Amino acid sequence: MLKTLIDAFALISTWEVIIAMFAASVYGLVIGSLPGLSATMATALLVPVTFYLSPIAAIATIVAASSMAIFSGDIPGALLRIPGTPASAAYADEAYAMTRKGQAELALGAGVWFSAVGGIAGVLSLMILAPPLAEIALSFSTFEYFWLALLGLMCATLVARSSPVKAIAGMFLGLLVSCIGIENPGGIPRFTFGITDLFGGIEPIPALVGVFAVAQVMRAMLTPEPPPLPRRKFGSIMAGQWKLTRKYHWQMTRGNIVGIIIGVLPGAGADMAAWVSYAMSKRFSKEKEKFGTGHVEGLVEAGASNNASIASGWVPSLLFGIPGDTIAAIAIGVLYMKGLNPGPTLFTEKASSMYAIYLMFIIANILMIPLGIAMIRVAAYILLAPRSTVMPIIMLCCAVGSFAIGNNMFGVVTVAAFGVIGYVMEANGYPVAAMVLGIVMGTMVEQAFVTSLIKSDGSILPFFERPVAAILAAMAIGALLWPVMVWVWRKVKPAQTAMATTR
Amino acid sequence: MSKISRRTFAASTAAVAASAAFGFKPALAQAYPARPVTVIVPWGAGGGTDATARIVAALLEKDLGQPFNVVNRTGGSGVVGHSAIATAQPDGYTIGMLTVEISMMHWQGLTELTPKSYTPLALMNEDPPGIQVSSSSPYKTVKELAEAIKAAPPGKFKASGTGQGGIWHLALVGWMQAMGLPANQVAWVPSNGAAPAMQDLAAGGLDLTTCSVPEARAIIEAGKARSLAIMAPARNPIFKDVPTLKEAMGIDYATGAWRGIGAPKNLPPEIATKLTAALKKVYDSAEFKDFMSNRGFGTVWGDAAHFAGFMDKGDAQMGEAMKAAGLSKA
Amino acid sequence: MRLPDSVTGSFLVVLGAAAAYGGYILPPVPGQPVGPNVFPLVIGTGLALCGLAIVFGIGHSFEEEEELIPMEDGQAAAPPPQGRFYGLRALLPPALLLFYVFAADRLGFIITAAIMVYVTSTALGAKWKLALPLAALSPFAIHLIFGKLLRVPLPAGLLPTPW
Repeated sequence: MLKTLIDAFALISTWEVIIAMFAASVYGLVIGSLPGLSATMATALLVPVTFYLSPIAAIATIVAASSMAIFSGDIPGALLRIPGTPASAAYADEAYAMTRKGQAELALGAGVWFSAVGGIAGVLSLMILAPPLAEIALSFSTFEYFWLALLGLMCATLVARSSPVKAIAGMFLGLLVSCIGIENPGGIPRFTFGITDLFGGIEPIPALVGVFAVAQVMRAMLTPEPPPLPRRKFGSIMAGQWKLTRKYHWQMTRGNIVGIIIGVLPGAGADMAAWVSYAMSKRFSKEKEKFGTGHVEGLVEAGASNNASIASGWVPSLLFGIPGDTIAAIAIGVLYMKGLNPGPTLFTEKASSMYAIYLMFIIANILMIPLGIAMIRVAAYILLAPRSTVMPIIMLCCAVGSFAIGNNMFGVVTVAAFGVIGYVMEANGYPVAAMVLGIVMGTMVEQAFVTSLIKSDGSILPFFERPVAAILAAMAIGALLWPVMVWVWRKVKPAQTAMATTR
Repeated sequence: MSKISRRTFAASTAAVAASAAFGFKPALAQAYPARPVTVIVPWGAGGGTDATARIVAALLEKDLGQPFNVVNRTGGSGVVGHSAIATAQPDGYTIGMLTVEISMMHWQGLTELTPKSYTPLALMNEDPPGIQVSSSSPYKTVKELAEAIKAAPPGKFKASGTGQGGIWHLALVGWMQAMGLPANQVAWVPSNGAAPAMQDLAAGGLDLTTCSVPEARAIIEAGKARSLAIMAPARNPIFKDVPTLKEAMGIDYATGAWRGIGAPKNLPPEIATKLTAALKKVYDSAEFKDFMSNRGFGTVWGDAAHFAGFMDKGDAQMGEAMKAAGLSKA
Repeated sequence: MRLPDSVTGSFLVVLGAAAAYGGYILPPVPGQPVGPNVFPLVIGTGLALCGLAIVFGIGHSFEEEEELIPMEDGQAAAPPPQGRFYGLRALLPPALLLFYVFAADRLGFIITAAIMVYVTSTALGAKWKLALPLAALSPFAIHLIFGKLLRVPLPAGLLPTPW
């Protein structure tokens, strides 16, 4: 054990690994913070580079870049209300509200600090609990996934600040978008209208970029330049984080745990973790009414959950070669390419390489604090720059970023179309974040639902028979019925009091 | 100083221009490649096809002295990338990786493209499907599993490995037909690739999977699943204990997912010959062999003519299986 | 673009019905008892029901509708509409993206991007003294990062980059 650890240290303390890690961190921070570019794309673009690196250095770049990019996706979300990842779409409104209150440094500081804490908690779970966590992952069949996905979708109504009916409508719109393509149970073209480019369906990232970034530029076209934010000194970023940690230590722990569990389940990943945690934070908060007005509590929990799920998402990847999310899928490819084949032998025969991966994760999350602060300081100048210089650059990033996902111009068309959709939806009070959640979760919901029905020959009994499925079903149905029960209770109660007074 | 450098620069430009202008036509093949070559991959970065393309491109670059840039043209479940290869200029500066889907998609009416839409250059890899069960499954051999499938009512057994009409679905259909059973004797549960199917197998949601052995490898090594047989003419050197279908049941059925390099139609023959020769060198190199065997990928060599015949045969076989499964539109 | 709830709700009813019908007419997949037609049916029905609820204002009785979007400062006061076509300005960004799609392969990345930046910048009120240098420099910076360092195959077109 000690020897493996020393070997692992020796593996990572070469100049190649150190430089690769540092460069990839800066790269991940920059790409993640550019509106219109995503963490997944940042990782995918690294693959050709890793081809020429030694195995450990190659993994180092993936680990560092993906951890940094997931955090720095929060930066444009907070400063411009253009979230960089589907995960940060959950709380972009909240962070942006804080920026407008002049608390950008507190919001982003919470982002970097609790992301780092969550990341380290995730790695520790990966180091200590990998085998039992893997058992959780393997106990999930499509029946359990169905209930899990349903619970995830319900977060759309909790997170939204507008009318819940409109939030549900937005979510259904997203689910409808996810119906497009041939990646459906029948493998036949559905809602593709004979357009080959639609066969692959609408990717969540261009849709996200469209509804947030392009729609934001569209709104800017119609509104006069807002007065610059009150010139306050951009205060210390880390000050106050310790206080927040003490105040919200329970929220932070809960975020870490939820993030670790969701991260371990293949297919759910960081996107869902942030949504679930933000919704949970709101649901159980003592100050529910403050949510959405620039309240840091939800950011603490979602940030802690987000990065914890990134690290624990490596558990099924490393043990079984089953990717936890799109980033892990790319990471598995790199592992294979470098001869570090996932599987139990990685833990026995190549234990020192394994520990090297753990160590790199920890280092990346520690490195995130100073580098993240520097990045926030640089990015904050955006708030001072005139709109007429920032928006054109955002447009360029949208065009290039959506093209680079598949080197396909259709991505740019998607972004433009979703810009219009997002603009119209926002103008009429339909939350676009709910639609993004629908697009992200759609394929998983349908796949889980339909394949479960095929496996059970059309019976719905197995949805409740398996123990884990039964627990999740109870949670989902409870969450579904709760608001109705509250509503009925409110209706009945005044009636009772009215009756009591007449008697 | 600056004057001189400008003059020498002008002179060298003139020289280059002259050589371009007076460039002899017969010298074309010797000159190729004179600039970077684009290698189109119809699938995303990080996957098996991408990895294969990258190692091939890196070795071609070493041999031919020009960069071979891998470009992932994803979208449309492979249709977009495959048509990008077919519609590129046939000048040798755009080549691409063809995958087994090109012999399947046109039967479903998804595209007009067929293997005939390309200049085949070389077949590099083929992976046969395996038959995997969960480690808690009562079936220890493929014969026991086959007997149980025969005895059960149609649709009782559930299998997965990829989407409806995907390569591993057709492998299952082909196996059923080879045993004289109807195509729907085992119900196909569509999944989003092999990894979720293997996970569901381990979670107890499925009876068997028919994905390739390298895709199942990590879960098998983790002791959560067993491979009972492979649908190939010979055993896989990495899984020496897994018999072929012929050895285990006497059924002569083999299929597989293949990958090869192709170019747009009407590629000048001298360029095609040069590329095929370079690809042969790549195929024979120790780097390529090591890389592929490390990932558990099977290596198969086929020159241009063999590759064309191979694709035709596979195309007909796929068409038959798709018609049997009722998936064909043609 | 603020439309009455009855209009957006009705639109959702129509869209949901169309989706459900679109799912209904999908051909059944042989050997698959539950196929690709089920999900659009469920989603379409749900969407149509939501639309109905919105038309009849049920969402309001559930929970009072809050302030829609956190408006930017100064945005709350509606800008004075300048002419009949002022509202169409909002369509400029998607139009520029489509321009990029059609022009980039012919003109090349640098020229197309420069046009995009210049138009967006002037539309947002920048003087040519600011917009011109921005349009001249930013495409090169973006190309250096993506085209050169990350090997994204950006089209060269008429004006090849110096690297």
